[in-house]
Amino acid sequence: MFSGYIISVAIFVGIWVTLALSLNILTGYAGQVSLGHAAFFGIGAYTSAILSLKYGLPFWVDFLGAIVVTGLIGMVLGLPSLRVRHDFLVLATMGINFVVVAIFKYVDFFGGAMGLINIPAPSILGYSFRGGIPYLLLVWAFATFTWLVSWYVSKTWVGLAFHTVRIDEDAAAAVGVSVPRFKIYAFAISSALAGGAGCLYGHFIGSLFPDTFVFVESIVVLSMVIFGGVGTLRGPILGAIILKAAPELLRFVQDYRFTIYGALLVLMMLFQPMGLIGDDSFLWRSLTRLFSLPGRGGSRGGGVEEVGS
Amino acid sequence: MPFMQNLSNAVVLAGTYILMAAGLTMVYGVLKVLHIAHAAVYTIGAFIGLLVFTWAGNFWLALAVAMLVSGIVGVLIYRGTYHYMLDAPRTVPLIASIGMFVMLTDLLQKDFLMGPYQKALPAGGAGLPRIQTSWFSLTPKQVLILVVTAALLAVVYLIMTRTRIGLGWQAAAMDRDMAAAVGVNLNRVIAFNFFLGSALAGAAGVLVGVYNNSVFATMGDLPSYKAFIIIVLGGMGSLPGTIIASLLLALVENLMVASVGYVLPRDAIAFLVLILMLMFRPHGLLGQE
Amino acid sequence: MNRLLEVQRVSKRFGGLQALHEVSLQTEREILGLIGPNGAGKTTLFNVISGFLPPTSGRVHYDGQPIHGHRPHQIVEMGIARTFQIVRPFGDLTVMENVLSGHGLSYYPSWRAFAERFRAPGSESAAFDILEMTDLAAWAKAKASSLPIGLQRRLEIARALATGPQMLLLDEPAAGLTTQEGEELAALIRKLYEQDISLIVIEHNMAFAMGLCQRIVVLAQGQIIAEGTPAEVQSNPAVIGAYLGSEA
Repeated sequence: MFSGYIISVAIFVGIWVTLALSLNILTGYAGQVSLGHAAFFGIGAYTSAILSLKYGLPFWVDFLGAIVVTGLIGMVLGLPSLRVRHDFLVLATMGINFVVVAIFKYVDFFGGAMGLINIPAPSILGYSFRGGIPYLLLVWAFATFTWLVSWYVSKTWVGLAFHTVRIDEDAAAAVGVSVPRFKIYAFAISSALAGGAGCLYGHFIGSLFPDTFVFVESIVVLSMVIFGGVGTLRGPILGAIILKAAPELLRFVQDYRFTIYGALLVLMMLFQPMGLIGDDSFLWRSLTRLFSLPGRGGSRGGGVEEVGS
Repeated sequence: MPFMQNLSNAVVLAGTYILMAAGLTMVYGVLKVLHIAHAAVYTIGAFIGLLVFTWAGNFWLALAVAMLVSGIVGVLIYRGTYHYMLDAPRTVPLIASIGMFVMLTDLLQKDFLMGPYQKALPAGGAGLPRIQTSWFSLTPKQVLILVVTAALLAVVYLIMTRTRIGLGWQAAAMDRDMAAAVGVNLNRVIAFNFFLGSALAGAAGVLVGVYNNSVFATMGDLPSYKAFIIIVLGGMGSLPGTIIASLLLALVENLMVASVGYVLPRDAIAFLVLILMLMFRPHGLLGQE
Repeated sequence: MNRLLEVQRVSKRFGGLQALHEVSLQTEREILGLIGPNGAGKTTLFNVISGFLPPTSGRVHYDGQPIHGHRPHQIVEMGIARTFQIVRPFGDLTVMENVLSGHGLSYYPSWRAFAERFRAPGSESAAFDILEMTDLAAWAKAKASSLPIGLQRRLEIARALATGPQMLLLDEPAAGLTTQEGEELAALIRKLYEQDISLIVIEHNMAFAMGLCQRIVVLAQGQIIAEGTPAEVQSNPAVIGAYLGSEA
């Protein structure tokens, strides 16, 4: 049914908005470029699926379990970031993504290559729903929650510490920021939220396959963040909406989805590396001028205040 | 399987790794960019090699043309993207590289190019003989890989050490700004670098395509991941390190598969090695920082 | 609780290079100058004291506690802050945010980092006080990277001050400053001393160091070759030799 399809698209968009916002905390705020976010997405999805499928636990337990477990694992998988930076970190996170997917594929407990099927639909107070408006609300409530977490982090000392780590680790240490600790915080928060998104994904689709979480999917999420405007609260949302909704709604684009993703990334880096509505972007500066918002692009202002707005 | 045979198999495997990784490390040496799009050049090389071989029936011609085209594609990638990002923060060329990789790989899968299925590249051993000694034996295809790899490496070595452009590269790898200050034409050095590195990758693609008698659009993914592992192991930007690391990785993979019934696939082992390396010896076995 | 910094026979080796050799010094409640020709090891010594480098041998004590081998953020927590020879401001952040980042020291180690807004009135007014003291108040909302280098140096000092240190290590704070700016800087440093902050100042500019510091330590090729008041050091032949021998 037509509107059913639109609702499904909106559900997917909501899940990917959550993924993009959560990655933004790690990459945009704390500066840890990660090409392994899909792994956390998958860990959350598989955790909640197993909790509900093999242990019969109710949805809320699965959901919280996915968040907590993924957050804890995220702290461990974030350890390489303490030793390496930049390019090396990119490689390490790629590798982590690969190993995690390999575990899903080859370890029977996770269903192996056949994946997991018949994941129960969430039910609250006896009412069971797998799609439609209720699920849409659920997904977007969590997306909103993720946004609130991002906003909150950007306003508190944690957020400021994250930015210092991103800009200059040594200078951050010189003002008393324990760089390792804050990197782990960033991984914990970002992966926990991604895990929640994974749970929502798994219970919506009803089945999970390892290849959904391969490295390329990490690239997709990263491109949403970069495309929209890395480090801002608004950028990842727009990036996720455009890059997720467009292929779903436009047949032609669907076939060439990755070609367009790739081309967009390249074009973005050539012309607007700060993202479509990033702080210094053409669009954002035009918008703020047009509406006389207090936003200050460029060298006269900016900083965390802008980034957090 | 007896050790010497294992060893010789590993050397052959390493040959393809070296060609792939050498290009990558050369690019990193000067640009300090993880050239993730390198995978696409490898695949393009295999594809062109297939086309030429199908049309002309001659392996050596196919190899030469593939290398040439790959080299040109490499330079075009550089001129179209990285060239404008030399002074940008490191994430910018990295993301652009990822974008190029995704775009090219997707395009290659379209029907008008390589299509979604694999194709055969039946060039056999290109007329080379089988080698049989008491310790190990090499099939003609294996001999082919060894011969081509050795020849190309020798050429690269000569270029790097005996020509002006090679020396310019070494200078630029040490310090880009200084090199420019003493008159090294950075643009030319980098472009040539890309040409050479990409040509090597193209050669690797053709060789692997011939060896496995199979060419397909995503064939570059795994070799390029491994190439990254190798350049980290060998020290980013170090050619000798790359050669040693390639041999090591090939050896470990062969031994793992041969002796241990694997829980995880062989490729995942490579990644575990990567993560461990990054944790404990991020500057590689031979690299300096 | 004393505020004695004791460097005891600290040596630092980088592969074949001996950057520091058995350096010992003590300082407490003074403006100490650390001078010497380029490559003498002055910044290396700062890096060891402030935790950016572990000593190859030797010890560093502060307040009676060993601090050698500790991480930089721990050393800041103990009350020793530093600036860098080449300024490292948080360029993307505003001047105010840079100073606030130092103020955050009170929050970073605990859960309060998650609970408090960094733009709270208390923190902002404390940061503003520091901006006023360092004459940067007018630039509070400017992006740090847009400041001229002289102001960036002051910002770096302001940021270090925001951590509430008892001891401040300044690495060539006067480099590249005009005479006028240098005098203003010296006045600031004296003001800090009057506010009970001990200082160690690395300086290449002899006149600046001599005019400002109460005591001078001279480092050359990783070793201390002279110590004393500015007058004593200035007339010390070994010191003159070290400077003439390397470069002006």
